[in-house]
Amino acid sequence: MRKSQLYLLGKPRYYSGLLALVLLLLFILFTTNAFYLNILFMILLFAGLSGAWNIIGGFGGQLSLGHAAFFGIGAYASSLLFVKCGIPPLLGVSASAVIALALAVMIGFPCFRLKGPFFTLATIAIAEVLQLLAVHFRDLTDGSEGLSIPFQPSLLNLTFESKTNYALTAYVFMLLVLGISSWIKRSKLGYQLAALAEEDQAAETLGINTTKAKMIAFLISAGLTAIGATIYAQYVLFIEPHSEFSISVSIDLALISMVGGLGTTVGPVIGSFLLIPLQEFLRGWLGGIYQGLHFVIYGALLIAVVMFMRRGIIAFLSDRYDRVISKLPAFLGAERRLARFPILDTDISSFLSQSSKVAEGKQEMQTIIEVQGISKSFGGLKALSNLSLSVEKGEIFGIIGPNGAGKTTLFNILSAVYKPDSGLVRFKGETISNLGKSHLICRSGIGRTFQLVKPFENMPVLQNVMVGAFSQERSREKAEGIALQVLDFVELANRKETLAHELTIADKKRLEVARVLATRPQLLLLDEVMAGLNPAEVTETSRLVKRIRDYGITVIIIEHLMQAIMSLSDKVMVLAEGEKIMEGAPGEVVKDGRVIKAYLGEGYELA
Amino acid sequence: MIFIQILINGLFLGGIYSIISIGLTLIFGVVRVINFAHGEFLMISMYISYFSHSMFGLNPYLSLLINIPLMFFIGMGTDQAIIRPLRNAPPYMQIFATVGLSIALMNLALFLFTGDYRAINMPFAKKVIQVGDIHLNYARLIIFFASILASLVLYLFLRNTDVGKQIRAIVQDRTAAKLMGIKLNRIYMITFGIGSALVGLAGGLLTPVYYVFPSVGFYFVLTAFVVVVLGGMGNIMGAFFGGLIIGMVDALSGYYIEPSLKEVVYYIIFLIVLIFRPSGLLGMVGAEEMGMK
Repeated sequence: MRKSQLYLLGKPRYYSGLLALVLLLLFILFTTNAFYLNILFMILLFAGLSGAWNIIGGFGGQLSLGHAAFFGIGAYASSLLFVKCGIPPLLGVSASAVIALALAVMIGFPCFRLKGPFFTLATIAIAEVLQLLAVHFRDLTDGSEGLSIPFQPSLLNLTFESKTNYALTAYVFMLLVLGISSWIKRSKLGYQLAALAEEDQAAETLGINTTKAKMIAFLISAGLTAIGATIYAQYVLFIEPHSEFSISVSIDLALISMVGGLGTTVGPVIGSFLLIPLQEFLRGWLGGIYQGLHFVIYGALLIAVVMFMRRGIIAFLSDRYDRVISKLPAFLGAERRLARFPILDTDISSFLSQSSKVAEGKQEMQTIIEVQGISKSFGGLKALSNLSLSVEKGEIFGIIGPNGAGKTTLFNILSAVYKPDSGLVRFKGETISNLGKSHLICRSGIGRTFQLVKPFENMPVLQNVMVGAFSQERSREKAEGIALQVLDFVELANRKETLAHELTIADKKRLEVARVLATRPQLLLLDEVMAGLNPAEVTETSRLVKRIRDYGITVIIIEHLMQAIMSLSDKVMVLAEGEKIMEGAPGEVVKDGRVIKAYLGEGYELA
Repeated sequence: MIFIQILINGLFLGGIYSIISIGLTLIFGVVRVINFAHGEFLMISMYISYFSHSMFGLNPYLSLLINIPLMFFIGMGTDQAIIRPLRNAPPYMQIFATVGLSIALMNLALFLFTGDYRAINMPFAKKVIQVGDIHLNYARLIIFFASILASLVLYLFLRNTDVGKQIRAIVQDRTAAKLMGIKLNRIYMITFGIGSALVGLAGGLLTPVYYVFPSVGFYFVLTAFVVVVLGGMGNIMGAFFGGLIIGMVDALSGYYIEPSLKEVVYYIIFLIVLIFRPSGLLGMVGAEEMGMK
């Protein structure tokens, strides 16, 4: 596995990046100009810091405007240990990181369960609280007067005579952040973050513990920020609450990523190379004469970037860059890898097929899911009342009913999007209605699609499906293999590079099925996968559902198209106003007077 | 007795937090944007009152006639110029944009007026009436009653006027509202204007009793965030009571704990609310789209 990653260095994209890093290193080593080294230190440090911010803010899409909390804590922890206890910062930095991690847990724990801007507000609040505390406890921190750090050059103190060494330290820090970022981006975590940043709920139902994924990203981000802050403190040798804990630090880190390219690995580096010199220039040029004016420009720039360059400079550059590097040769066998079809150790039938599980499990257990007396109300509206049903293994179970009958509510309860008011759900003999989290439902073997499709719009089709596959596989290569196989199975393989939002509605629905199949479900809940499709596409989808069932996967399908559902289903249940009207074989259901009245309308005659 | 005196001081000052927070929560509930420049709008309003008093001798309560309509238009302009192009962008983009506006305005004030703390000298503002052992400050009394009046007017407006009904419809279901022919953009713009007019009011009321300086809005908007979360995001009634509560917490912790730690106290309240009751005191538990009741 490790060895196979080496071919990446042969890719033009990677070796050209590596070349840039080497050139940068040579520049640091050979320049003696203190001005350049000073500005380079700031650029590299902030590239790293903003890269750290980007892990939660960009990859995870969770906007923190309080990274000053981690920056300040990092700077103060190591500096106080140094000044008051004589512990050298190179060791103290671990304390900085640990405290930052603890703080991140404190913020993340209450906020990551919530939707809306709570996280942003909480991060701002924490940074403010820490600033106030740092001012207040002056016995410890020297308060508003600030803390001076003695100049004792040594590597252990991260303090140096020459600016070159400082620039090198910042360079190493930036490399660390870049390395971690690009590792995350290519890993399971990276895919999970990209998914939840786009569609939190869909990500959950694909087996992603979104709270945990955000938390991990936040911890990494916070720890790295604190490390960078220690380096910074040992450079300026003077820290004070009003600058280290200032909201402008938080905004800087966010802005640099934003300008460079949110959620990309190199975006923060590009952003830093642009913004830090600009900031220094504005401060030197305007700040001296006109108080505040450089920040006016800064604020205006922020608005302009958001309005006119939403994807950052990198979106602007990458096309040109791609054109250049496409002309460069590839080495180390990367050229073969580029067009390679991943080798699969399992084929689609053994991936999806449930037969082996049946063989090893209890053969006599035929009921796969059992719903007992479920009720659910929204305010005064009874969406479901005392509903019971059971589905046999390998069945296609159709649910029909007028709009508002409670069909989707039922799916939402089965997939733990809602909690039922009463009643319970048993899956394979175990109660699952108390699991409470959609990702646990997915892991227990139930997959679902959404009536209003929720693809990860800005990801290619293949990556969409890989997000599902990662619930089965840690390794990227295997996840990719599964995804390709599944795409082939649903006949969407020719679209694998297309961004999801460019697909037709039929293909989007197909993509949803592929994505959930990649989680290897035993029970599949399909919510109106045929709505809005033309007759040919309906036939296609019917065939697909049958092929899925042929692998032993049980299917519960909600649909309005009578003909399709009657020919597909082994059994049909009719819901109206939250209650089961009847259940039975399709032939019986269509003949039932109550059903015809409730669903098809008065006087409906079967052809 | 001192306890009651402090409580009343806090309650009266809390009126300011209420007005500011109602504006913020209204905009959030309808336009779905957290306006980070809300505090800077307050700052602008305070400077208007300050300068119309110091240059033309205009009574700050009279200058409300300028502040309120002006801030209404500034709010509408902000919505159209900055928020409108970002309506369909992810929420963090809108936050970024308003943060940018906040930085630009705050520093523009710093550039134009320097960082000096300014205060108007208004004898009336310092007058007190005595009820038993309790001293009631006129200016703060006005703040308190104005906040009640403003909330009441807003309530009646939302309840009885066409625009008010449209606003409430949007909060309940934006798609349905649109299908019923409500012009979303127009209502968003008006709501942004109303929310900003409320800080226009707050600025005028605050100027007689508080210093004016470029970052004054930042302090108040941070407090307003706490209030808005405490009352329930988008909940007007919640913001009203939340403001009064935070006002009292502010005064009590300033006296009994330590003036420099009073913000710490209510940020801790903020975190406790987030952990145990994120829907806020008056918000519907578990409701994702929080309405105003």
